[in-house]
Amino acid sequence: MVPLLQRRLFCNKSFHQNHCQWPIKQVTKSNFDDSLSEIKQRISTSDFVAVFLQNTGSSSSPWQRVSAFDTPDTAYSKAKSAAERFQTLQFAVCPFTFQASKLTAYPYNFHLFPRDELKLGMPSYSFTCQTSSLTSMAREGFDFNACIYDGISYLSRAQEYAAKVRIGNPMPVDHKTKSSSPTTTVADTVFVERIRTRVRHWKNACTDISTTKSDDAFVRSLRKIVLGSEKYGSRPSITIDVCSERQVQLVLEMLEQSDNLVPLLVPAKSGGTQSVRAVLTSSQEDKNLLKMELQNLEVDQTKRVRGFREVIDLISASQKPVVSYNSLNDFTFIHSKFIAPLPPTVDEFTNSLHLAFPVVLDVNHLVKNIGPVRKTTNISAAMSYLKNRFFAPVDMEIPHEDVVNEGNNHGHNVVKICHLFGKLCSVLKITASAIQSGDHHLASSALQGYENVFKLCPNIPQESTNEEDIRIWTNNTRKVSCQDVVFLWGFKKGTTAGMLKSLLQGSHEVFTEEFDIRLVDRSCAIVVFWQPGSSQTFLDIMNGTDFSGKLREMVSEGVRASGYEAYKRVCSSGLWESELADSLDKALASSECISEREFESKPSEIYWCSELMINLDDL
Amino acid sequence: MKKQWPVRALSRALSSSTSTSTTTTTNTSSFPLKHVTKSNFESALSSLSDHVRAADFIAIDLEMTGVTSAPWRDSFEFDRFDVRYLKVKDSAEKFAVVQFGVCPFRWDPLKFSFVAHPHNFFIYPRQELPFDGPANEFLCQTTSLDFLAKYQFDFNACIHEGVSYLSREQEVEALKRANLIYEDGLSDSLKEARDMKVVNVVDVLFSERMKNRLSEWCGGLLQERNRGSEFQGSSKDSEQKFRTVFFKMRPAVSLNGFSSHQLRLIQLVVKKHFKDLAYLHVSGENSSQQFIVYVDSESDKKLLMREVKEEQCKHEELKIKAAVGFRHVIDLLSSEKKLIVGHNCFLDIAHIYSKFLWPLPSTGEEFASSVNNYFPSVIDTKVLLNSNNVLQQLMKKSSTALSSAFSVLCPQIVLGSKSSYLPLQSRVKVEVEVDDKRSSSWNSGVKHEAGYDAFMTGCIFAQACSHLDIDFKLHSPSENLAHNEKLEKHINRLYVSWINGDVINLSTGNRTSESFGSNNHKMRYTNICFKHIVLIWGFQSKIKAREIRECISKVLGPSSVTSVYHVDESAVFVHFSKAGLVSKFLALKERLERTNDPISVLHPLAKLLEGGNTRAASYETYKEICSSPISKVLFADQAEAFGIKWKTKLVESKVEAANTQESKNLHEGNSMNSDSDSAQETNKKKLNKVTNDSSYDQLSRNEIVDSFYTSENVERIRTSNF
Repeated sequence: MVPLLQRRLFCNKSFHQNHCQWPIKQVTKSNFDDSLSEIKQRISTSDFVAVFLQNTGSSSSPWQRVSAFDTPDTAYSKAKSAAERFQTLQFAVCPFTFQASKLTAYPYNFHLFPRDELKLGMPSYSFTCQTSSLTSMAREGFDFNACIYDGISYLSRAQEYAAKVRIGNPMPVDHKTKSSSPTTTVADTVFVERIRTRVRHWKNACTDISTTKSDDAFVRSLRKIVLGSEKYGSRPSITIDVCSERQVQLVLEMLEQSDNLVPLLVPAKSGGTQSVRAVLTSSQEDKNLLKMELQNLEVDQTKRVRGFREVIDLISASQKPVVSYNSLNDFTFIHSKFIAPLPPTVDEFTNSLHLAFPVVLDVNHLVKNIGPVRKTTNISAAMSYLKNRFFAPVDMEIPHEDVVNEGNNHGHNVVKICHLFGKLCSVLKITASAIQSGDHHLASSALQGYENVFKLCPNIPQESTNEEDIRIWTNNTRKVSCQDVVFLWGFKKGTTAGMLKSLLQGSHEVFTEEFDIRLVDRSCAIVVFWQPGSSQTFLDIMNGTDFSGKLREMVSEGVRASGYEAYKRVCSSGLWESELADSLDKALASSECISEREFESKPSEIYWCSELMINLDDL
Repeated sequence: MKKQWPVRALSRALSSSTSTSTTTTTNTSSFPLKHVTKSNFESALSSLSDHVRAADFIAIDLEMTGVTSAPWRDSFEFDRFDVRYLKVKDSAEKFAVVQFGVCPFRWDPLKFSFVAHPHNFFIYPRQELPFDGPANEFLCQTTSLDFLAKYQFDFNACIHEGVSYLSREQEVEALKRANLIYEDGLSDSLKEARDMKVVNVVDVLFSERMKNRLSEWCGGLLQERNRGSEFQGSSKDSEQKFRTVFFKMRPAVSLNGFSSHQLRLIQLVVKKHFKDLAYLHVSGENSSQQFIVYVDSESDKKLLMREVKEEQCKHEELKIKAAVGFRHVIDLLSSEKKLIVGHNCFLDIAHIYSKFLWPLPSTGEEFASSVNNYFPSVIDTKVLLNSNNVLQQLMKKSSTALSSAFSVLCPQIVLGSKSSYLPLQSRVKVEVEVDDKRSSSWNSGVKHEAGYDAFMTGCIFAQACSHLDIDFKLHSPSENLAHNEKLEKHINRLYVSWINGDVINLSTGNRTSESFGSNNHKMRYTNICFKHIVLIWGFQSKIKAREIRECISKVLGPSSVTSVYHVDESAVFVHFSKAGLVSKFLALKERLERTNDPISVLHPLAKLLEGGNTRAASYETYKEICSSPISKVLFADQAEAFGIKWKTKLVESKVEAANTQESKNLHEGNSMNSDSDSAQETNKKKLNKVTNDSSYDQLSRNEIVDSFYTSENVERIRTSNF
């Protein structure tokens, strides 16, 4: 199989020669452990970590892509829905340093598959694949067998916690969680005394057995039953059932008074603690030994459970700036697969993400600050744009020694991102030390506002961004208030924006003012009124009863209109139909029972950029 | 067996990989199987159609990317027939088929044996056309992919080389769109051009240059016409961008290397200044071409336009026909009206219908009648083995799972004729023919490879027929096996749900609860009454079934709850002993939540209502939620996504109806109890059977799913029996 596979990949190689120049270490289940320690070291000595994710899909239909007319809220909803449905199959990580135009990178490409290693229905029950995405991956020579057979599994932080509970192994007590007990009630005292007596009897019995070995087996087993003594490994132990967290506390306090007992918590299936297990050790050394054993056991188990997430944890722990091309997309995936399920709002998301990754740099966003938007639609385009416009030589070096280049050299995008980032740093005069120092006020002013741009969607600066930043790229972008935007649908399929515009122009006097119209997808158009208040006038007419002339004709043909809030509702309540028109219809149908308060509209603005609208030719 | 594995796996990988380059995969070391990918599809299709025409019956099997889109959509005992259909529908709509096994069987009267032609198609719904519609996603169940990987499924062959397809619906849609585009496509592009205003100086200059160029070309053309002879020589415009060619017997300029903006300007110039020139946009195989054609007159121009349009339409139609791909095989099976044989194939048929024909209808009855139009006779070997006494005795109560049934019924075929079985009269002989090479000895194939599974299914059927005294020696080839009177009562009967033995008759749309052979099984599920069921969800996850039962029993009486059944960790079915209790319970819950005074906290039901998100409704709501296209992993999340805002959906209790029901129940109370006891008894027996079976490690995929469900069910029953 291997030679045949290679043969096919060799054919592909001739088409993608340029991708194969960089050695990228491919990591699967078999070499994961070795690579982990290696990458740990690489990350600790690097300035930045670049990431690139290869997913099974991006968006179900054209309008569900994050685009220019999205506010941060709607953009997040879109990215969230994609991250929850699709699966990451390859995760390329590249720790790199960049000093004086010399870029040293260590690219790794991890093959992932959400295999249910623990038989707990985790990390994911099922995932969606977009046929076109898989086809284009196949065209690049993606090896699906390697991914599904040998992909590394993982659990998110939230899943790891749930898994530990469900596996139900006894856990050592975490000393940080202990708090001093408030007041002791009579019931507590009775409980503690009862347990204390039981433990004392058991302890005495244990030490007795070791001294007097005269008892026969039968008596010993009887005693075992009476005392409830068990073995934990080679050491005797006793299980104390508890009914509440309060009792856990009491038992732990009581056990602490004894020198040679090590308490373990047995988690209940539904969360919380089921019982406390006390293990008897013979001496202080033995106690330490046991504690060490427990720690190793935990490390082993953790490793098995976390899988690839170890890498994410390493990046997170290093607090190094993370460089990505499409940060909103990538980090919604990272958050949902490796940290926890995505929270409902964008603010909660940024807060949660900030804890794990304090500095995120979006290369796409950086590029947009330099050049016109339409020239930089993908990594390669951005690269060639920079090459043509600026002289910023970057000396790439990839000192991987042990990489056998077998022809399946995936993950080259992460190297491209490094390269692009290097160029950008030269152009924008960003230095690694400035970002690393953590003193962001001293950092190059150019950097401010680029950092953590995952808050914003790639094309949409946050409201708080200061005016100067916007001016740079307003040459074909205009700021529009959401209130001046109207969605229009229900027209004949195949109608172009031009046809719609000419239809509208004669239909009502509102349209004698300046307005713009673009198609969002085949079924729906977006209308921008440059005259404030016109949109409201138009919507009032559409919601009213008396239409006249051409508008009446259009409405009876089925044309409907709605303001931006209907679109917001579509995104927030996840009405992801394949055509936006259907989603908007659904949103309107359900809106009758939802009061408006849910959408106390934040004053939000979007950027009208004629270049960015979905080109129907691309569909 | 185990030691053979690596060798077999390797040879399998080899054969499936080589199938992309060479068509033949007859490998003496492995089971002869014809692997079909897109490279050899055309030739395989033509040979297959001959085999299908000559065949007595055709066995099929499918491999999919998953079975259930969420745990609560699993097959349960508590599935009413319509709910079960909705679950199958959901599965068929969401998951993709990645392998399709077709194995025509023909009786060879000279050799007194069957000849099988096992085909293994790798299929993948690649988007061949630019506008395939929204059906461009599919779901993968992680465990199913892992399962396929365990049996060495070649995902690369599937995704890189799989044969694509269009359903009938997609084809109709694509043709409609193609026609629509070409109806106003040509005029449309002109309209666009008119909209554009030339304001830019650069554009004006370019347009002017183009105008001059074109008039020069036109002038030259006319002169040459007058001279008549030296046409070739005078075309000094050897520039690649502006090449003179012939288009439809007319002189034309082929435009190369212009940007789309420039092309638009040229189009505008042509439109504005040249009456005798026509601008044409012709899309070819992989690229599109622009021409400016010289026309004699307005009528000639119209003629040309129509000609081009027709050609483009035809071209588009050809492309769509090519994109139909694997569906040609389905059309072939449908048009030949041969007997189709599957093993526990209701889900398979649903997949075939939704992938290759039309969207699945909303009810099982409609589905049955439409399937019957396309496939008039389908036989399910699992139904056959379970409903015939002779066969049941032969099976000796062993599993009716595909591979175990195969080894019990056809030991002579399992390893070809190498085994030393005497040619008993009751043993059917089967030979395998791949690419005109016949073989009668082989190694065992790989389970869960669709082609081999189809072969096994066919062998089981052939053997079963011989046990039913169907003598193929007397059987004439012209006679359709589907009309054989001995098979008649088994035809078109499929298990909708194997767990509770619901069988649907495709030719009538009727459904029956099938007995599992012995009669005592028959009574198993009659004690589930869907009117007695309340669905509760959204309670706190730590509450167990036993506690829910206790809670309710405290309020409505100790014998009020028959059983509590976990749908998933967030939802339960509570089966009450009387229908009246359902509305009583719902009304009580509603009242408790409305009052919300301190006393209601002490109410026994308060534990169940803790957290304030506990919702309850009748069984109908479960059906409604099952019909939703959304699939959240947890049922509680699903209900929320479905848009359920209320907490309790009351059931109108018609006093009279409830009363009669109650008295009836009182009357039957005694017998019911004993019934349910015996039901659980048999259930446990069945579990034992199933667990024994699984030790075979030879279950078919369908089977594994079955046994998995059942073992889970018993676990659930156990928890509810505490």
